[in-house]
Amino acid sequence: MNVAYLNLSPHNFSINHWCKNFNTYLKGAHNPGADVHNNLIRGICFLFLMIVSFQSNAQTQPAYKFLQDDTVIKKKLYEKALQYNTAAINNLSKENKEDYTKIYNSRFKEIKELLSSSRSLTTVEAHQYLQTIVQKIIDANPELKALELRVVFARDWWPNAYSMGDGTIGVNAGLMIYLANEAELVFTLCHELSHYYLDHSGKSIKKYVETVNSEDFKKELKRLSKQQYRVNEEAEKLSKSLVFDSRKHSRDNEAASDRQAFKFMKNTGYDSRAIISTLQLLDKIDDSSLFKRVNIEQVFNFEEYPFKKKWIQKESAIFSQADENDSPLTTKEKDSLKTHPDCSKRILLLQDSINALGNKGKSFLVNEPYFNQLKKSFITEITEYCFEEKNLSRNLYYSLALLQSGEDIPIAVYSVTRCLNEIYEKQQQHKLGLAIDKEHKNFPEDYNLLLRLLDKIRLDEIAAINVQFCRKYQVQMKNYDGFATEMLKAISFK
Amino acid sequence: MKRTILAMSMLLLCVCSTHAQKLSIENVQKVSLRNSEAIKEGSEVKGYYFFYVSDKIDKKTNEYTLQITDNNLKKLKDIKFQDSKHVSILESSFNGTDLIFLFYNDDDRTFEYQVYGADAKKKHSYTRQLTKKEERFLENTYLNLNDDEESFKGLYPLEGKGFISNTPSREDKDYTFQIDFFATEKKKQWSYTPTEGGKKFIGDYLGYYNGVVYIEILKFGGAFDQSPDSYMLGLDIETGKKIFENKTDAKYRFYPSSMSIINGGKAYIYGEYYDLDANIMKAKSKGFAFWGVDEKGKVTSEKYASWDVDMGKYLDVSSKGKIQDFGFMYLHSMLQTSDGKIYAVGEGYKKVASALGIASKVLSGGRGGGLSAVKIKVTDMIMLNFDGDFNISSAKIYSKNANSIELPGGYEVVSTALLGKYIKYYFGGFDYAYTQLNKEKTSFTVCYSDYERSKDYKGGTFNAITYNEGKITTDKINTKSEASRSAVLPGKQGQVLIMEYYRKDKRLDAHFEKLN
Repeated sequence: MNVAYLNLSPHNFSINHWCKNFNTYLKGAHNPGADVHNNLIRGICFLFLMIVSFQSNAQTQPAYKFLQDDTVIKKKLYEKALQYNTAAINNLSKENKEDYTKIYNSRFKEIKELLSSSRSLTTVEAHQYLQTIVQKIIDANPELKALELRVVFARDWWPNAYSMGDGTIGVNAGLMIYLANEAELVFTLCHELSHYYLDHSGKSIKKYVETVNSEDFKKELKRLSKQQYRVNEEAEKLSKSLVFDSRKHSRDNEAASDRQAFKFMKNTGYDSRAIISTLQLLDKIDDSSLFKRVNIEQVFNFEEYPFKKKWIQKESAIFSQADENDSPLTTKEKDSLKTHPDCSKRILLLQDSINALGNKGKSFLVNEPYFNQLKKSFITEITEYCFEEKNLSRNLYYSLALLQSGEDIPIAVYSVTRCLNEIYEKQQQHKLGLAIDKEHKNFPEDYNLLLRLLDKIRLDEIAAINVQFCRKYQVQMKNYDGFATEMLKAISFK
Repeated sequence: MKRTILAMSMLLLCVCSTHAQKLSIENVQKVSLRNSEAIKEGSEVKGYYFFYVSDKIDKKTNEYTLQITDNNLKKLKDIKFQDSKHVSILESSFNGTDLIFLFYNDDDRTFEYQVYGADAKKKHSYTRQLTKKEERFLENTYLNLNDDEESFKGLYPLEGKGFISNTPSREDKDYTFQIDFFATEKKKQWSYTPTEGGKKFIGDYLGYYNGVVYIEILKFGGAFDQSPDSYMLGLDIETGKKIFENKTDAKYRFYPSSMSIINGGKAYIYGEYYDLDANIMKAKSKGFAFWGVDEKGKVTSEKYASWDVDMGKYLDVSSKGKIQDFGFMYLHSMLQTSDGKIYAVGEGYKKVASALGIASKVLSGGRGGGLSAVKIKVTDMIMLNFDGDFNISSAKIYSKNANSIELPGGYEVVSTALLGKYIKYYFGGFDYAYTQLNKEKTSFTVCYSDYERSKDYKGGTFNAITYNEGKITTDKINTKSEASRSAVLPGKQGQVLIMEYYRKDKRLDAHFEKLN
């Protein structure tokens, strides 16, 4: 925000003058030769009218705020995780203690990062809802009662759920928004609970530590360290054998967790066919398939400031026709590197058992309306969390998707405007590269187009787009808390 | 978002692992980076390569990995091969579809040009055997050339056709140069070397137009010739045969440095001009000349913009070319945008008294030696703008903090005009870094370094003057940050690559930033 500009005294201008300018401004009269003076006048007029407008509309719509986290829950979860880690380290025998401690502490660092930040979502209602479902699984499977669990939702955008190996289980909002019903959430939870129940993480850590401390392995490393030629070739072979072995175990563990999850789930009263639909979903999940494709050429096209094709024009590129499957790895090696078996294979392994159960079970047992409400609010939570984490390209992408969905236009408009201002400021400080993604073949096409635009668009063009965007929605947004500030900021940048 | 250059991190890993107590796979592996450079299409960065020794095979052979990334540092391909331990990469270039690398084996004295297609597969390979004489000459010239402008040394892309290479060459008594053409569509090559008995030649690639490769030749009568003749040479792209070779003397002695195709597809060459009898190693240029040329080498138009008359309207210039407070201008680059306008980028320098040099003279009893009583003060940046008819239309000085270069004794007598060349090539004293023009010629960036001593910041700065569709903007990036070490490197046009290493976290952040 240009402070000097806002502090200028308006006494030199008459109200009529203000209104005349403001009308011109509202009409969007485009004057390429407009100088700073005119911009100042416009800004002042706008500010004045904004103030007048707010005075006459005392009932403003509050800006979106995160679902309120319960800090007591968070603290308890964190303390329990800390206790677990301390006990695990204290109970270690002398053998390879250093290696185990290093791994446990590194794991705890991640858990701490999840449980002590706004990444974990512990708003009372949502957290309670999740615990009710977890409890349903435990009640139906008494063998799980002895387990100490910390199950939380996370605000992360990517579709994933994970078991940290100490009883901490996370379900990302980025996965929740794609799930069709509680039964799919139950399968997800059963799968992660199975990893913990079967102690996959503990076994993997043990296997790794024992391997790297084995006499054979140490002897081989010692030999390599003294060898003069072809050292890297042999070290790579050794490394590959370790990785392939660990990945094979990982795939085996996935299949074992699926089987165990089925055993847990069939006792819960939920429809086990959700296992198939969830695995099918995971197979084709695409983080934009929930929304219409974001059409930036449409959203950022204005009568007075048309969209410029050059913003998304493709450039000549090295190896533009290279075969993406071209890799020095053999097909067998590629398969050996996968951490998960293909979803189709996972479905095949369980299909018969699921079919044998027949059409039993429900899609919802706890609270269908709340499940749907939660999914909706998670989309906004993800968007907002991307902004908080300064992942601005994702924040803009989800904000635009939200806008195009038409579901929460005020939040979406505010979020787009605020994000464009943040992008402007970061670009001005030469820090934007740290806050945006670069195009990648694995990203959806519309996200890549947005990234290309962000890569090419110039500072003055960002400001111009944002001002036009604000103008388009200013009437609709006049009561939205914070919008006027963002609009003024955009004008000051222009 | 944040990206880590694999090769750099591997190096860091190697450094870190030497302190490790316990043996691990990571610390028995030994990887060393041999070369790393930006891959450019003209002046635009299109990617980067990292050429490292990935294993030692035997006493004479290494395994190499040539890692190629795109301009976002995303890995595109690892090319692994075994070769002599004496191999390094000298240059690379991209012509819109194909990629070329020049490998040098200093044991076998061979140049090998390898061409890779858009499908990432090796297409052709061209080998050139160097004689011992030639190698010695190259060691003193091309191989010793500090690529301080971060630009391509002599591998010029011809879109859809191939690459032109320009390297110094030595044939018997001639100190000359060799132009090679390497086709990319099919394997085809030609070479051209001017040899006219006991002379010295310097060649400079100007451009390509209507099937003709244009080369500027400076012909020296002998090793001490201070006034070389300038020629424009035209070679047939298909055969490499000479089509024309014309002296670029008319009213004045003209030394073209660039070529552009503008004004409805016409070719123009431009650069500085001198009096016909001038000693160009000492004399200051009279101004800038712009010649229209056709594919037969015929000059179709001539235009001269002089320092004292034409540029004097915009700057306070003396008839000897000295600009008030700015000193003399050293021309770094000239380019033309798609609207036909031409921009010349220069930097100021002047002789001033050196307190240190004078004190040194006094202390040595006036016996000379030590430092010169004069030093060079490098002043501001300047940008001159010419319209489509080659009339100067504006000139702007971009001020920066002056820096001084102490000179060795004896430099008092060297002309100020000649000192510019010494500053550039011997002392590396100019702050100018490089200029990048985009492919569409709608935008360019001039980059230079500076040093700031203000209340808020004391340290180096990276600066850029950007032209974009008629507007000029400037940028300044502080190169001293919270990171233990940071550097600003060329990215694609209008962007820079900022690398920041955080010693405590052993973290290297590499992020591309747009210039505003």
